[in-house]
Amino acid sequence: MLKPQVLVVGAGLAGLATAVELARAGIPVRVVDQAPTLGGAIHRQPLPGIRSMSSSAQSKRWSTVIANVETQSSAITFHFNTRFGGIDHSGAALLTGAHAALIRPRAIVLALGATEAVQPRPGWTLPGVMTAGAIQTRIKTIAEPPAERVILAGSGPLLLAVGAELCRLGRPPIAIIEASRPLSHLSAFRLPLNYLVEAAGYLATLLQARVPLIFGAHLTQISKTGEGLVAEVETNKGMRHYRADIIGLHDGIRPNDTGITESNVLPILRAGDCREALGARGAWADGVFGGQTLAASLLGLVAPLPSREIKSERAAQNLLAKIYAHKGATRLSDLPVDTIICRCENRSLGDLLSLGTAPTDRELRLDGRFGMGSCQGRFCAEWVRKLKAPLEPAPRIGAARWPTHPIAIDDFLAAFEDSESKT
Amino acid sequence: MSLINWQGNSVPFIPGETVASALLRAGVLKFGSVTTGQPTSVFCGIGQCQGCLIRAGGQIREACLLQCHEGMHVYELNGGRDA
Amino acid sequence: MEHNYNYDVAIAGAGIVGASVAWHLAKAGLRVVVIDQTGPAAAASGASDGAISVASKVQGPIARLASASLLYTEELARAGLLLKAFKRRPSYIFATSVEEITALDNLIVKLQALAGPVRVVSDGSAKMLTGLSEQVERLITLEGEGHMPGHQAVLAYLTTPGITPLWPSKIKSINSDSTGVTVDLGTQNLRVGYLVAALGVSTPSLFPTMPILPRAGQLIVTDRGPVGGLQGSLTAAAYLLAKTEISVKSLQPPVVIDPLGTGQYLIGSSRENHGDSTKVDFETVRLLLTRASAVWPALRAQRVIRAFSGVRAAVSDGMPIVGPLPDAKRIIMATGFEGDGICLSALIGREVALMVRDVASQSEFATDLAALSPARFLSARQEGVA
Repeated sequence: MLKPQVLVVGAGLAGLATAVELARAGIPVRVVDQAPTLGGAIHRQPLPGIRSMSSSAQSKRWSTVIANVETQSSAITFHFNTRFGGIDHSGAALLTGAHAALIRPRAIVLALGATEAVQPRPGWTLPGVMTAGAIQTRIKTIAEPPAERVILAGSGPLLLAVGAELCRLGRPPIAIIEASRPLSHLSAFRLPLNYLVEAAGYLATLLQARVPLIFGAHLTQISKTGEGLVAEVETNKGMRHYRADIIGLHDGIRPNDTGITESNVLPILRAGDCREALGARGAWADGVFGGQTLAASLLGLVAPLPSREIKSERAAQNLLAKIYAHKGATRLSDLPVDTIICRCENRSLGDLLSLGTAPTDRELRLDGRFGMGSCQGRFCAEWVRKLKAPLEPAPRIGAARWPTHPIAIDDFLAAFEDSESKT
Repeated sequence: MSLINWQGNSVPFIPGETVASALLRAGVLKFGSVTTGQPTSVFCGIGQCQGCLIRAGGQIREACLLQCHEGMHVYELNGGRDA
Repeated sequence: MEHNYNYDVAIAGAGIVGASVAWHLAKAGLRVVVIDQTGPAAAASGASDGAISVASKVQGPIARLASASLLYTEELARAGLLLKAFKRRPSYIFATSVEEITALDNLIVKLQALAGPVRVVSDGSAKMLTGLSEQVERLITLEGEGHMPGHQAVLAYLTTPGITPLWPSKIKSINSDSTGVTVDLGTQNLRVGYLVAALGVSTPSLFPTMPILPRAGQLIVTDRGPVGGLQGSLTAAAYLLAKTEISVKSLQPPVVIDPLGTGQYLIGSSRENHGDSTKVDFETVRLLLTRASAVWPALRAQRVIRAFSGVRAAVSDGMPIVGPLPDAKRIIMATGFEGDGICLSALIGREVALMVRDVASQSEFATDLAALSPARFLSARQEGVA
């Protein structure tokens, strides 16, 4: 096989689509992923011997993806269990793990997917409280529910998807708490048919299992008792309390782009959810378009025309966002002052308020210590900004700096021991 | 049955499963705590939040990414000694 | 002083030096405004390791000023709420080469000559510090040096009555005459009696003839981790040679391992002749980490969570610029500290305040400070045109 020229980070839909297009154009590609196999988040694969939790529509789509990938397999090298550490300004990319290396590709494609936004609530750092996505990841890999009693809360279509998956595993969630009222929008019927079919499927499963779907409601507090967790939920009919073992929170998805620095010595393409949430179909289309565009640029050919599919998926996602819109973020400033905002550094709302009305970035980080821990602001930056710098568009606190995740010095140095690093 | 060793206790795992997943099945929600006093436990499940840190093989690792291997010794951040 | 000034003194720059000057002037009853284009500790002061080290200072005026400043910093910390961020801590300096061993010999001589607060308490092999590699041929332990996070000190200095903060606000131009200084901020003009230019790397934009050179240094922050036991910074002796004529070719860049108060570690740093803080590259970081883990192998288990670069303001001749401009005596420079700002800030703040109040000649440090005067650059042009 020819030496790979382009690095694609992420073997989900967008990364695979980009890789296929580049390979089709004759450009050998290396695809890395921290997971043991391809699939990304949407098509996370079950472990060997475990049944697939995919719907028939999802399975069908995945078969098509695999077929596409296989037609180009001679030009695509997969390196799994390999984490991407970042890019530096000189155009080097750091890889750690099974295929550790420091490489200087001709171009880099970032298909890192999404990260989940979770709004702070009192008790959200208690063991047993996790993201809805964390529950889904585990379900997809081992086809088991996480516990007896699960509550899902926040806002977003993912709550319904995870809820339905739990039903299919025989452990329907105790309740799904949704801040918006998506079913109250007539415009929902303007969504593409496949969205409606998928949603209908989830709703049917949930209704059949008699899962309470509580709309326009907010999980306001979590506390720990001797026999598990208690979720306090504010509904328009008053406060309710639910006992649970696991609470899955989810307040939307965001681009996963922490720790990505720029370089102007090589093309860097972002594809899929890490650039823009476009749904599964949109992620593939985005990867196809991105791959074709990058290939054209590398080969000096004419760029492809803008993709209509991306445009329509974008419109669908915008409509979905409207349907799911709610004002839950205003609750941030009403949180009890001892609510933790920065999980890594254990910094509370009170700590944030003590920085004054308009703290500078430096003050937030050095005096407040927000975003200074090991997740580098991934989970707190949005809320810190909403509370203290609402006009600031940047999603992060502090400048973007590699690494994308903490790397043991040992593992960092191991990347340089690879013979590839010499080239 | 495949087993890892968590803080001196045997915990079964499915081949290919992560430490976090195996521990959850065994009913372990809290993995330990960090110096700030916060508990360590699974939050994001995909290695981004750094909330599920444990120690294994002399390194600090995310339990949600670390694959189980037969006989592997896993400890909470501030507990035990490992090779 | 005249009464139609907006303020008695304007300080350009809310870094550690500007903040210290502001505090000292406010304490003397003057009305002070501190102007910064971003905010407090926005540049080098907020990107430093906070080490207050006499050992690393070049022999001569700087080492003497540093020694005195260290004592004064501690005095300010003990006297009240100011500088509570200051802590005494041991320093460890190690040698792995012949040049470095010689540098340690010279260090001992220098410290003895200073007869100041910093003392050598042990001088031996790697065994003196648990975890140190046997590559280390000699290790010196010092007591008496200190540590003070720059941004905390800046905050402490600036939270004082009599100091008006003005940020973010960019100075367009500075013009002085025999009776005062006019500061053009675009949206307003300020008329003040004196201006102290503590602008660090921003100095050239307003004072183009001052030979300030930006010098970037890459730094690494690690997570809290299994490694413990380092009570103070661990510095390669090659660092002592950094601002001298002697070059230690094979050992660049000299490494410093600094335990932060949070339990995280700061590892640094390179010294690059440019001012671009976005240039943080894997190869340089690899050199620093290789060196650091060679000296302290247990460090290999620590995780890197961030790599960044701070830009220091260096001067062509290696010495800070402190004192009134020869042709504009109401403008007083206090810049070019290249990594020594936190250490020298307390003393420089006091001395520059004396200069403003025109009683500097009474200072015991007048001779040493004279060596730092901007007059040494023989500027004949009017400064301060943007």
